[in-house]
Amino acid sequence: MKELIEIVGEENFTDTLEELVPYSYDASVNVQRPNSVVWPESTEQVSQIVAFANEQKIPVVPRGAGTSLSGGVIAINGGIIIDLSRMNRILEISIEDRYALVQAGVVCDDLNGKLAKYGFTFPPDPASSSVATIGGNVGSNAGGIKGAKYGTTRDYVMGLQVVLPTGEVMNTGSRTMKCVSGYDLTKLFVGSEGTLGVITEVTLKINPIPRHAMTAVAAYGRLEDAGKAISQTMSSGITPSVMEILDKITLKSIKENTDIDLPDAEIMILTETDGYTREEVEAQMEVVLRILKENNPSLIKTAQDEKERVELWNARKSAYATLARISTSFVLDDVTVPISRIRELLVGIQEIAQRHGLVVATYGHAGDGNLHPQILYDAYDAEQVEKMERVEGDLFRLAISLKGTLTGEHGIGLSKADYMTLEHDPVEMDLMQRIKRTLDPNNIMNPGKMSL
Amino acid sequence: MTERLQFYEEWREAIIQCSRCGFCRAVCPIFDVSKRALANARGKMILLKEAMEGELPVTDGVAQALMRCTTCMNCTVSCPSGVEPDKVIKAARREMVTIGYDNLFKAMGEVVEKYGNIYGEEQRHEWRHKQGKAPYVLFMGCVGAYREEESVAETIRLLDLLGVDFTTIDEVCCSGVLEDVGYKVKEALAQHNVREIRKTGAETLIATCPYCYRVFIEHPSYKDLGLEVKHITQFLAEVPLQVKTEKRVTYHDPCDLGRHSGIYEEPREIIRKIAPTFVEPERTRENAMCCGSGGGFRGTFPRDSLKIARNRLDRIIEETGAEILLTECPSCLHNFRNAKLRRQKIGIYNITEFIAQLYQEGASVGKQAAEG
Repeated sequence: MKELIEIVGEENFTDTLEELVPYSYDASVNVQRPNSVVWPESTEQVSQIVAFANEQKIPVVPRGAGTSLSGGVIAINGGIIIDLSRMNRILEISIEDRYALVQAGVVCDDLNGKLAKYGFTFPPDPASSSVATIGGNVGSNAGGIKGAKYGTTRDYVMGLQVVLPTGEVMNTGSRTMKCVSGYDLTKLFVGSEGTLGVITEVTLKINPIPRHAMTAVAAYGRLEDAGKAISQTMSSGITPSVMEILDKITLKSIKENTDIDLPDAEIMILTETDGYTREEVEAQMEVVLRILKENNPSLIKTAQDEKERVELWNARKSAYATLARISTSFVLDDVTVPISRIRELLVGIQEIAQRHGLVVATYGHAGDGNLHPQILYDAYDAEQVEKMERVEGDLFRLAISLKGTLTGEHGIGLSKADYMTLEHDPVEMDLMQRIKRTLDPNNIMNPGKMSL
Repeated sequence: MTERLQFYEEWREAIIQCSRCGFCRAVCPIFDVSKRALANARGKMILLKEAMEGELPVTDGVAQALMRCTTCMNCTVSCPSGVEPDKVIKAARREMVTIGYDNLFKAMGEVVEKYGNIYGEEQRHEWRHKQGKAPYVLFMGCVGAYREEESVAETIRLLDLLGVDFTTIDEVCCSGVLEDVGYKVKEALAQHNVREIRKTGAETLIATCPYCYRVFIEHPSYKDLGLEVKHITQFLAEVPLQVKTEKRVTYHDPCDLGRHSGIYEEPREIIRKIAPTFVEPERTRENAMCCGSGGGFRGTFPRDSLKIARNRLDRIIEETGAEILLTECPSCLHNFRNAKLRRQKIGIYNITEFIAQLYQEGASVGKQAAEG
């Protein structure tokens, strides 16, 4: 691989086995060894790497923090992993024009730390924001807790610099709030999971940080009541910035394994309103609380100060960690359904879990219908692995039957590739294939993902 | 050589508990400067998983990779899955040594045995402080006694100024660091220290080095010390101080004092007494970034160790705008002083050293005032 060394230098290339091992994994169950890893420091270098790979027909997999939950950064056919972590410069922050221009390897929290000094933020907040890169966010169209009110990464990408599979560098989009000039190629690349090119720079729209927030928690003995409370809130004219739920299994796990005090309930809702004045936030919360109360809650609590607010958030924040600690392995999914179908999804998940004899704990973002069923199993037990796969299959079929989607924010990657045709008809699948072939005739860019 | 690591049974659960979320990327000092996946805890847990399962041949490359950790514990405190990588890595290093992979600490162990210090120095600085019976006994540690002698001298001067009746001893290396890198505490050295300390009849041992402090508290070889062990910040927090500075002061939590020993408040209590403009770095207390010197890392990878210290120092300066950086660990002090660039105007001191200097300035100002 002396060509690659010539491009990036000896210290930014490796093909030693020990270094390749960690690059064979992400946060999903998928594993495959790449042949080499490079750490480019400029778009020019990325362009040369991709051009070389295209000429030699070697697969190329762009990678940020490797936090993918769907196998999106696994080099399933081997090849070169392009780790963009060293392209981590914030190139420009323009408060006046409300955008930030960053290299793909910038970490979300680092950007938000800089923006906070101006009172601004890039709102999508995936749980991995302390490590996740902007490039990875764009590639998987990352969301987060505040999706219902603030949308996902897609809503903030104004422009991109992309190294195409031929090695050509394309700049697309604009620095303007409005733009209908030509096809929206920018959005084509958002959520494309590295299958169409390597994103090297991103222009992001930024928002002012709301100055006030209010938090409340409600518990329900019946799923149906909670489902109504969620639907009615989301259609009340008020959009809460947070509308999270924790199901019975999740609540029980947290209760049994931490010292967090929780009610015995079928489901718990955590909600927040935010805004720029106290009055605005209180008026919104008043409406939310009224709806929560009208639907037979077994408990309602509001936070009076920051300390209480942190306490109310405690259970939600510890869900992932608690579940990760109590089981050997887990798969964390992100099926999403229309808000009115959340109750059916929750009931269906528990039916599936019981049918196959595995524990599935569900929590997530009820405000946008995006839930996280966490399937607990033991990856070293062949029987349990098989069960886990069957649970996932049934889960995806359930979500689609409820007019939902396979993935709200983690992406298809390898884990859901086999289920693409559940959601996309042959006409759509065919057009996706044609787009992929047109841009990447040699199929070098992250092959095998999204079943493309 | 292809071998499966034998510690499989004992550590299997701890290793496969890693859910590969990658959150340790945010806190690993080595990853911070290298951006290579093998640097952080996730990389090493994956490496060990494959080595245990026979997927990866155990080679010198694996042994080397395991040495690339400062055991700062920042990943341990931030791991959602409850993995304790510092413990796993230390156990894996022991395993590698057991099956025959040498690292430079075998040689260092011999040096420590022969010379009684990690540097192989034949002469120790003459502190000219009393030795013998006293209620307090002071233990300096190798890095202080052989590399930061002036700082130790100031610490001694402060204790004298405060009227503390203490003795020093003919100390040798506590040899605890060997436990971090696959070897064992040198019993003969430990017993020498225990004997010398007991001879003083002291009721309290004051350790200036947080690492030595931990070894005295935690290691079975020191269980017969028969006296109370305090880190010097714990001792000083209870002493009234008569000096103040107007300078902007910040504090770096040493890993061995903070995350490993849980001592966060005492240093801050002391600093608040003397510096009303005390300001915390952004990453502080449980999340304080490591200076890069621990766990045998400075000895094995001196260049990277310095890079980490420079990285931490740059950020502290940027975040706090402090004129004075305080810590209370000879290793952190030594690494930061080595890392500091000439253009960086920040003063770097151990807390005790800085306070001694404030007393000195106060005395000379007082003298001038009296003369004027």
